Amino acid sequence: MDRTVNRKIPTETLPLGRRVPLWIFRATALIAGMAIFFPPVNPGRISEKINESASLFTTGVSYGTITNSMGRILRSQWIRGGDITLLMIACVTVMLGVIMCAAGGCMSLGNRKMRRRGLILPLLGAPIMGVGLFLIRQAYQRMVSNGEEMGKLDKIGMMLPGGFTVFIVLAALLFLSAAIAFFTAEKDTDPSAKMEMEEKYRLFLMMLPVILLTFIFAYLPIWGWRFAFFDYTPGGDIGADNYVGFKWFSFLFADPATTKDLIRVLRNTLIMSGLGILTSWLPIAFAVLLAEVRSTKFQRFVQTFTTIPNFISWVLVYAIAICIFSTDGFINSFLTNVMHVAGANTNYLQIADHTWLKMLLWGTWKGVGWSAIIYIAGIAGIDQQLYEAARVDGAGRFRCIWHITIPGLVPTYMVMLLMSIAGILSNGMEQYLVFSNAMNKDVIEVLDLYVYNIGIGQNRISLSTVVGISKSLIGITLLFAANGISKAIRGESII
Amino acid sequence: MAKKEKAANLHIKRSAGDWVFDIAVIIFFFLFTFVCIFPFYYLLINTISDNDLVTSGRVNFYPMLKDAAGKGVLGAQFNNYLALQNVQDLGSSVLVTVARSVLGTALMVITSAWAGYLVTKQKMWKRSLWYRFLVVTMYFNAGLVPWYMNMLMMGLTDNFLAYIIPGMVAPYNIILVKTYIESIPSSLEESAVIDGASTLKVWLKIILPLSIPILATITIFGAVGNWNSFQDSLLLMNNRPDLYTLQHRLYVYLNSSSNLGAMMSQGGTISEQAAQSMLNQRVIQYTVSMVSIIPILLVYPFMQRYFVKGIMLGAVKG
Repeated sequence: MDRTVNRKIPTETLPLGRRVPLWIFRATALIAGMAIFFPPVNPGRISEKINESASLFTTGVSYGTITNSMGRILRSQWIRGGDITLLMIACVTVMLGVIMCAAGGCMSLGNRKMRRRGLILPLLGAPIMGVGLFLIRQAYQRMVSNGEEMGKLDKIGMMLPGGFTVFIVLAALLFLSAAIAFFTAEKDTDPSAKMEMEEKYRLFLMMLPVILLTFIFAYLPIWGWRFAFFDYTPGGDIGADNYVGFKWFSFLFADPATTKDLIRVLRNTLIMSGLGILTSWLPIAFAVLLAEVRSTKFQRFVQTFTTIPNFISWVLVYAIAICIFSTDGFINSFLTNVMHVAGANTNYLQIADHTWLKMLLWGTWKGVGWSAIIYIAGIAGIDQQLYEAARVDGAGRFRCIWHITIPGLVPTYMVMLLMSIAGILSNGMEQYLVFSNAMNKDVIEVLDLYVYNIGIGQNRISLSTVVGISKSLIGITLLFAANGISKAIRGESII
Repeated sequence: MAKKEKAANLHIKRSAGDWVFDIAVIIFFFLFTFVCIFPFYYLLINTISDNDLVTSGRVNFYPMLKDAAGKGVLGAQFNNYLALQNVQDLGSSVLVTVARSVLGTALMVITSAWAGYLVTKQKMWKRSLWYRFLVVTMYFNAGLVPWYMNMLMMGLTDNFLAYIIPGMVAPYNIILVKTYIESIPSSLEESAVIDGASTLKVWLKIILPLSIPILATITIFGAVGNWNSFQDSLLLMNNRPDLYTLQHRLYVYLNSSSNLGAMMSQGGTISEQAAQSMLNQRVIQYTVSMVSIIPILLVYPFMQRYFVKGIMLGAVKG
């Protein structure tokens, strides 16, 4: 039986002078590994005609992506297909080098033997990256000279992208740091030692892809906050010349139209969230009443059907709203054909009156059955002996509800309440987007929808980013406050 | 427990007030349940009735077809569903939505199962840091526009991968899996490790089979979420109508007629033909809506216990 897994692998602490180059190497390898998938640093985008959103990886593997806007250029041989193949080979070569370096980075977390082996990889991989970059340069030159021959150089938009320089720097850094780490490393004293890695690092490497995905899609957007400090127009650049500092932040209060919008939007947001919080006891009432029903079959029947609306999207809720409330919907045809009311053709969806209340009712219709589930389970978890004891003492059912059931549910309710207070500014945009129309847009536009409307609808990226940043910061503050309150009152955190 | 309660109740004589209360509660729940399901039923009967009767608003409570005299009688037809194959762009939307529901959910579940298992490993280097790194993203986001700009930078606009890759890491589901795995006796895992099983093997042969209930739960949540997805399609697929999800496509259909409706209510004139096509469009909208609801209605009754389990586990935070 192989018991190596449980054998303790000796840890050795390296002196600082040898740790630093090793860490530089690992960090660079990580960055290079991610850079393969980042379109802005694609070294292979040597022509403006190559898709801007193609990363090095895409350029290396997908002929179609490179050439999808090159129809005429390829047909007329302004760029020869052979040169594009060369470019793809070059990109694959660069990737191969990067992958070797990244593998070396992973192996450098192992024991002495593994680390030494691992460091050989970048010593080969970085030069391979160099070869790949040279080939890209070669492809570039061939395309340029071909373009000159054809006299169409201006049509094929040749350039050496910024990513090219980035990759040269990365390759050099990888080579240097790996070389220093390799040559200062101790020689293998024990030739019979095996390559192995401490479990903590093995587990970390297994987790690494998840961490990187999280970083790219949840943390990297914070990098987009920089647009708040520039006069950014879509497709444009940001640089020193359109840096405006905190202009957009003060713009919120300096520009009367924006301020007015903001006040209106905040009013809508706070009122609708407020109504939601004021009615947040409804699921409890629902659960308590349902528990009073004696037939469990009936309970299950109600529970099944009242939770269905929670699982359809807001677009479908809107479709249902149309089929019930529009000009030719159920209400009107019921009034006309069954009640024989003349002239019943109101489109209730186009009426802006009571919009806040209507939105609350839709939210309740969709959510109350679902939200009640947690309280129904809470009631099931209350000790039955409490009820028996109370009844022996002469308590009726309402006193039982008031003194046993409700107090049993309060802790859960407090968590829900605090969470909804923390999320008071985020009521999502889908519901309000689908229900908004020309009549009610002033009263239905909540903060999230406003951010969408000005950012995506009107392309005011910077302003929208500023509103978004403020919202995120206030939201996280509220969350911590709610958490603090929860800790103080209940001695338990909610996050 | 229900029996116990009943036994306890036997001791108490129910007063007249109790009876009234009980009946009132039952009526209330009947009404509320009716309000919850009637719209779906109404939508359905409108799609399977004679379109002329639908247009004149005669179909209210049961599906109708015309009899010889042109009067409405109980009956059903499915021509509207067959006619959907001629509706522009609908096919590609269904395909895209099915593809993302299958692929996106599968990748999300695998990632959650893997990450949820790994974060239970106390030995991992900086484990709690990475765990927090994941959990924080549930409560904090950078905002809509920075997110959009990030997707633009990653080349994920007008790209099907945008439906799948960002959704792979779902922190809430990771917490659910983690909580569940922590409840599995660790002795099982330990004995496998002593027998020389690698981490991957332990995950595949021990953890995965034992966590099937929770994986089923997150699968069903993920599938419904993907099926209902609308926002990412709306934001990211501006130049690729063929990549619209079903909900987005439906939103487009719904809006194209509500504009006509707005014209009417403002007193603008619409030709007879336009009004006719609008009403036919209404039937098409209903039918498309029904098509996008049906999978959920079909799946839901069988999966209800998994949904309930999901919300209960969520209450026990990680």
